[in-house]
Amino acid sequence: MASAEQRTPEFEPPDAVGVRRPDPGPAGPVMLPGAGNAAMARMLQGAPSGPAGLAELSALAGNAQLARFVGGPPAPAAPAAPGVGAHGGPIQELQVKLSRLQASAAPLTEDGRYGPLTEAAVRTFQTGAGIVPVTGLADPVTTAAIDAAFAALPAPVRVQLALGATGPDVGFAQQKLNAVGANPRLVINAVFDATMMGPVIAYEIAALHRFPTGTVDAAMWTALDAGVKGGFVAPEGAGATPVEQNTPSGTANSLGTQVAGTSLHPVVGVGGLTSGPGVHELQQKLNNAGAAPKLKDDGSFGPLTQAELRKFQSGRVPPLPATGTADKATWDALDVASPASMTGAVERQWTEVVGGATYSMVGVGASHYSWEIQKTRMLVTAKVNFVGLAAPGAWFGHVEAMWNQYKGVDPASGTSMPIDFKMSSGGGGDANTVEVKPGTGRANAGEWFVADPNASKTIPHEFGHLIGLQDEYQLHPGDYVRVTGHEPPVGDAAGPAIAPSVVATNLQNAMVARSSANAQAASIGAGVKGGAYAQRVVQEYAKLATVTVPAVAAVAGPPPVPAKPAVPLTGDLLFDLNAALPSDNNSYETIQTFSYSSGSIMGDPGRVTDPHDHGAQPRHLGEFMAILGRALGGTWEAKRR
Amino acid sequence: MILRLVIADGSQSPAVAESVEVAADGALTGWRSVSDGGAGWFDGRLPPAELAEIQALIEAVGATPPKAAARPDSAEEVLELDATGPVSIAGLTAGPGDWSKLAAAARGLLDRLTDFPRAVVGVRYAPGVARLVHRGADPVRVDVGTVTVGATAWRGYYEPAGDWAGAVAGPGEIEAGPEWTYDLPLGLSFDSDTVVHLTADFTILNGPTRIPVRAKFTPDAPS
Repeated sequence: MASAEQRTPEFEPPDAVGVRRPDPGPAGPVMLPGAGNAAMARMLQGAPSGPAGLAELSALAGNAQLARFVGGPPAPAAPAAPGVGAHGGPIQELQVKLSRLQASAAPLTEDGRYGPLTEAAVRTFQTGAGIVPVTGLADPVTTAAIDAAFAALPAPVRVQLALGATGPDVGFAQQKLNAVGANPRLVINAVFDATMMGPVIAYEIAALHRFPTGTVDAAMWTALDAGVKGGFVAPEGAGATPVEQNTPSGTANSLGTQVAGTSLHPVVGVGGLTSGPGVHELQQKLNNAGAAPKLKDDGSFGPLTQAELRKFQSGRVPPLPATGTADKATWDALDVASPASMTGAVERQWTEVVGGATYSMVGVGASHYSWEIQKTRMLVTAKVNFVGLAAPGAWFGHVEAMWNQYKGVDPASGTSMPIDFKMSSGGGGDANTVEVKPGTGRANAGEWFVADPNASKTIPHEFGHLIGLQDEYQLHPGDYVRVTGHEPPVGDAAGPAIAPSVVATNLQNAMVARSSANAQAASIGAGVKGGAYAQRVVQEYAKLATVTVPAVAAVAGPPPVPAKPAVPLTGDLLFDLNAALPSDNNSYETIQTFSYSSGSIMGDPGRVTDPHDHGAQPRHLGEFMAILGRALGGTWEAKRR
Repeated sequence: MILRLVIADGSQSPAVAESVEVAADGALTGWRSVSDGGAGWFDGRLPPAELAEIQALIEAVGATPPKAAARPDSAEEVLELDATGPVSIAGLTAGPGDWSKLAAAARGLLDRLTDFPRAVVGVRYAPGVARLVHRGADPVRVDVGTVTVGATAWRGYYEPAGDWAGAVAGPGEIEAGPEWTYDLPLGLSFDSDTVVHLTADFTILNGPTRIPVRAKFTPDAPS
């Protein structure tokens, strides 16, 4: 996982939002870059009105947030007078409000746990509000007062934006336009250019039902702010720490990208698994598909199961080879005939791109895990075959402490079910192999260190990979949105007083020279920080003529540098920095500046401190919510328990 | 040179930047930045039997390794052979196949290297003290003006029993030679029934180049 070294976060909060005049736009007529934008063209032709218009935008974006805005179920009520030791979604909401009301000493980590810091913030609020006695308990009177004070917080001060405008508000508008379906997505670069004009006009027509003005005015801000949360900087805690509020965007998919053509099911039967959850799943699906007589759901692949499997295979139209082994084609057919089961085994082959490099868990190194919907809970298990040294007992507890914080909730039925995660030790074809090495070092998905002093975070991170989750650091913008479900932060919108094109050229020169020190000096050293300005550099870099960097021999050093083959630069800054530069601190920090990382357990909490996005998040359980829906019906959401 | 392996990882601080090189006559040389054997230069010679094993593995592999992306969170690993030039082996995990065996053997050479210190500073543990020690016959110039020390105590089989981290003032830029040691007091004493692991971060000077390094003290795992 990423380093746990505490460093200054790379993403500095953007400038405080204030009233600014937009930069004057270019003279002459405004050209609309609508060509190729099917979504916008469709909206221009026949924009539906009212909720239908919002619904269409929601559909365009797959935007759950907008759908919730249009109408959604109320959140469950908190128990009366919670205090220290209480936990759950309502406590998390309380923490959000206490931070924003600056009742806490510092921004509270929104973990849904009512601890001493939350209690102290409640006390501070009670004192300031004149509530007596000051108890530190979120009793109904206090909660009502907190709710009222939070509701009374002033809305963010927005700036009217027109073509040519720059600044944080442009970035926030870009985030929100993306969230409601701008297609193609806007780069969060805080520049209102021709590319942004199309989505602005589309939104004016589709959501505001007005003749386009090409501006983001007060009415449009009101609609955007009402439709999409976040997208501003708020002071949090008594010290007024500026914290950028995340902008939700679409439905997160935190899983690694499944390798095309692979099955999520392990091969079961001859040559594959013959016992365990995979066989349970097969037996359940064969039964649901009409096995007669019903198979005993015993998790053991015997003659009856094999015979029934052959019967199923030969009964397909056209028939599948009656091999008696459940391979990909058979599982595909079973999933159609019988989508649901109460037990399942997953063998996920996946890849990810992090810091411009591709990583994978494929073949025998694929993620292996199983799940079972029991009477009172859902249990997700990753079995690990530990080789080398034995695994310390504490590791198993670290997994449960980090991951067992959520329950699945079906709001329509009111049903809820805890989701428990477990790492077990064992071998077999459905186990992940992890080498336990002596001492300390940087763990990866298949090598863990027995004396890791940060094991309470490292092991849950690597466990995340074993259940198919990808890393959430050093991502391209599109991947960041997909895996986190929120827009890339605006971060530093202004940047240093140097043209982004100059930084881009200097970076390319550094790559040609194979100098990570030069790359660091050209970017971080020149004052570039993560965020909108850095993305303008990325855009300018893409415009440069590409060159091929010649091969370079190994350098003995110290520090040693490996030989590198010739690298044809691609115009993708992250790919090129990774390919051309040696892997050292300078190159890593440079890549960090031009990419996005979350502060969650799958991200880089050592570098990115985010009170809103930390530890295990509901998005990480998305796959299991879908499984619950298939098995039990309804639409399930992960909620803190 | 018949084999060179370089492992690099800039996500950590100090960065992992390790190299080992084997010559046809068995000469084994390299550099360790983050190591249980200390940080610095290493130089020795493989016994004939070990050299023969390496040579056999080299001769067994084809021109290019099987294509395999590395596992998430992996470091960069580049292996050079005469016949292949530089190839990435980060995705070659333990398992059957000539390339996997060679990759494992090459990684093992980085550990073997630490048996042959030339100009190295390591760290040892004495109760309440992290002791920097010189290893090898040649002097090494180091900046130990401020040494960042991390100590983790374990009881039983790696049950956490306390930790301490802090910056400890040292003598500054010095040349460390044979017999040189320097004690860095820890801010916490650990129970006598615990086993203490240490890390010490400092800087090695190579002409004008300053290289942040980490020496580690890792006692054997309890059986």
